[in-house]
Amino acid sequence: MSLDIGVWIGALLTLGIFSFLYRDNPFYKLCESIFVGVSAGYWFCVFFFDNMVRKFYFGVFPSEAGIEPKYFLIVGAVLGALMLTRLIPSIGWISRWPLSFIVGATAGLYMMLFFVSNGLNQVADTMLPLYRETAGGDFDPAETLGTILVFIGTFTGLIYFFFSKEHKGLFGGAARVGIFFLMVTFGAAFGYTVMSRMSLLIGRMDFLFRDWLGLLG
Amino acid sequence: MNRTLPFLLTFIVGFTIVIATFSPPLDRLAVDTAVFFSIIAVFAMILGGGNLVKINLVKITRRQRDWQFAIVTLVGFFFVLIIGLFKVGNPGGVTGQVDAPGTPFFDVYTYVFVPVGATMYSLLAFFIASASYRAFRAKNREATILLIAASIIMLGATPFGTMLTAWIPDSLDIFEVPNLHFFLMSSPNLAGQRAIMIGIALGVISYSLRVLLGVERSHIGKDGG
Amino acid sequence: MPPAPGARSIASGGRVLILTLTLITLTSSLLATDPGPGSIAPPTLIMVNDLDYDNGESLTISWVPSLDDVPGQSEVVAYRILRSSGGGQEATIGTVLAGESTFVDQSVNRDSAYVYRVATIAANGGEGYSLPTDAVVPNREWLNWDLVWLFLACLVLGGSVVFFIETARRGKKLFVRKIAGLEAIDEAIGRATEMGRPILYIPGIQDMDEVETLASLTILGKVSRQIADYDTQLFMPVARSLVMTAGRETIKTSYLEAGRADAFNEDMVRYITDEQFGYVAAVDGYMVRERPATIFLLGAFFGESLVLAEMGNSVGAIQIAGTARPPQIPFFVAACDYTLIGEELFAASAYLSGEPRQLGSLKGQDVGKGIAMAVILIGVAAATIAELTGSGFFAGVVSTLQNVFTTR
Repeated sequence: MSLDIGVWIGALLTLGIFSFLYRDNPFYKLCESIFVGVSAGYWFCVFFFDNMVRKFYFGVFPSEAGIEPKYFLIVGAVLGALMLTRLIPSIGWISRWPLSFIVGATAGLYMMLFFVSNGLNQVADTMLPLYRETAGGDFDPAETLGTILVFIGTFTGLIYFFFSKEHKGLFGGAARVGIFFLMVTFGAAFGYTVMSRMSLLIGRMDFLFRDWLGLLG
Repeated sequence: MNRTLPFLLTFIVGFTIVIATFSPPLDRLAVDTAVFFSIIAVFAMILGGGNLVKINLVKITRRQRDWQFAIVTLVGFFFVLIIGLFKVGNPGGVTGQVDAPGTPFFDVYTYVFVPVGATMYSLLAFFIASASYRAFRAKNREATILLIAASIIMLGATPFGTMLTAWIPDSLDIFEVPNLHFFLMSSPNLAGQRAIMIGIALGVISYSLRVLLGVERSHIGKDGG
Repeated sequence: MPPAPGARSIASGGRVLILTLTLITLTSSLLATDPGPGSIAPPTLIMVNDLDYDNGESLTISWVPSLDDVPGQSEVVAYRILRSSGGGQEATIGTVLAGESTFVDQSVNRDSAYVYRVATIAANGGEGYSLPTDAVVPNREWLNWDLVWLFLACLVLGGSVVFFIETARRGKKLFVRKIAGLEAIDEAIGRATEMGRPILYIPGIQDMDEVETLASLTILGKVSRQIADYDTQLFMPVARSLVMTAGRETIKTSYLEAGRADAFNEDMVRYITDEQFGYVAAVDGYMVRERPATIFLLGAFFGESLVLAEMGNSVGAIQIAGTARPPQIPFFVAACDYTLIGEELFAASAYLSGEPRQLGSLKGQDVGKGIAMAVILIGVAAATIAELTGSGFFAGVVSTLQNVFTTR
């Protein structure tokens, strides 16, 4: 059994969280409260030193000679300071300015990002011949079937997402084929994640039985 | 003023970033706005931290249910805040890296953060079991398809899956579980992923345009608010 | 076995040709360069190219490798790149391994002229220096013409969205199909009201720099407007301080619009912690203790999606979820009553608002979908015909389309 106090704390907290599977109880509440308080303080410190000190302070006042000071970062700090107007209810509405800045920047940034990576490139990657040959020049039935399914699945999947047309008749039939493909995709993701998440549980058991209790070699 | 300035800010900042994509001298703007964002987020954390303290203090002073645990949260919060901000026990002194190994701050990470976080995450294993059970019982076609695909993927990743269909003759080897696994991942799964991704791209573009053009303004608030 | 006479003459002719070529090359490199100690052959034909469509921040130096740089032999170990500017001292700015023939200099300033030399470094310590290049000034371009297709695509798609927003604004009725998850919102809120239990709104665990969080807050605006009407208790725990501020602003606006400013309370939105599973621990605890009747899980979710959704399911809440993260969607499908899949999350706010202009934008994005489908159809058909017939024309159509739609 471990004599390290840190391992003991870790093990007791682990058991406390697991106890929640049975029912809510004071032990879990204790672990939850510790975790919430400690982690909030932890991230506050990390963000403060990383963003405020490293990015902002050393950006405006570089510690090494020869690096251009980034005075424009002061605008960021002013916007940040405006967030604090929320503390004074009568001028709290000013905090909408930094929020609007962030909303605008996020919308603009993601619009281009998704357009390129999720949109255009995916369309380009789907343009493959529906007749495939092996390296030796013979007909390749498996590859051909695969490409045909990718084409049909992408096409009917997009039909499912149409908002301005009722899913009826032929269109509705195609949308149902689309749902079929979407469900296979979700099933694949589900199965894939199940396999990887089981290892998380095994990892925790390993910590309890090996590191804490010393029962495993 | 209350609503016009925020709208203009959203509009100008958003479209400037869009235009900057096409201009090499301006494409750094995206990186710079990310730094702006992190700076604003730190100021906001003062509000978040303040909210945490206030909520828990109220709980304690009014003796609300579970008020004792509010004390634990507050003690944990201030304890880490003090050892972190003042770099207590940091071998590098006040200029040292805040989360350098060997500091009490780092120990908190190792002995509280990692075990609790990992255990919370590992609860997923139990929840996956209950979710799968429910999906099994759901008698609609969609859930069945989802579950069949999931089973093939899971079996395909284990030696058991290989054993299960090893009797299938070579001419029909496409139906062996490992091959089905590969086929599912590379064809129908890929097709579904593509449809979802293209859809999301269009959704994000349309949504972003609504926001930038002020058609959607819920973030701007209401006059006099 | 002796070679046939004819073969011998071809072979000797070939030898003469190779010898002549070698002599020419050797002479030209000797004339063009300045061999250093150890007399190793220097690289030749040093070229400096300005990178197209950049901010004038890089130059590419390329060369023909030294004659002594033979693959499989280790006579040459590396090339050293030297740079001088404005008649100043020459300095080494980088070294690449033998066999390589380019170097990208990213430490240049837009307004300076640079002269480069490349030196062969031999295993025995010898060095062979090329002659200096002409001075080159890095160029800045204001427009990236490589992205002209992307720009046009943006105009087409953006144009169609704006066009339909305008069309709808002028009063043309546009049809939008029912989205089950959104139709259920009324029922879900009503249920919480009847049961006298709270509604839990989880906006994901990401910050305001994530478009899914923005979409979630927009939906929150519509949902909280209804909640205000019903006078039901709303609780929104958040993992980011900025989301807390934005969430309060959003709910407050809804309550003001509903004429229920008195019922708004800032504590409806609470900051928990930035830590992913710390947040989950607290929210799961809340679910078990307060037993919300309705739970919304809308936004950016990661590994915690199922831990939250299963807990919500176990307390018997009606759950409406939505995310644009494909790996998390199946968990919501399995554990929630309704799931908004990807695009539906972004369409939700427009759908819920019922406002013509917003619905118009959905029609606009459908046009984008139609274009994508048409292009895929044409591309696949052309690629298939090209594959079956070997037609150069159709192969050209495919490569043109791929070119237009590929932006890496």
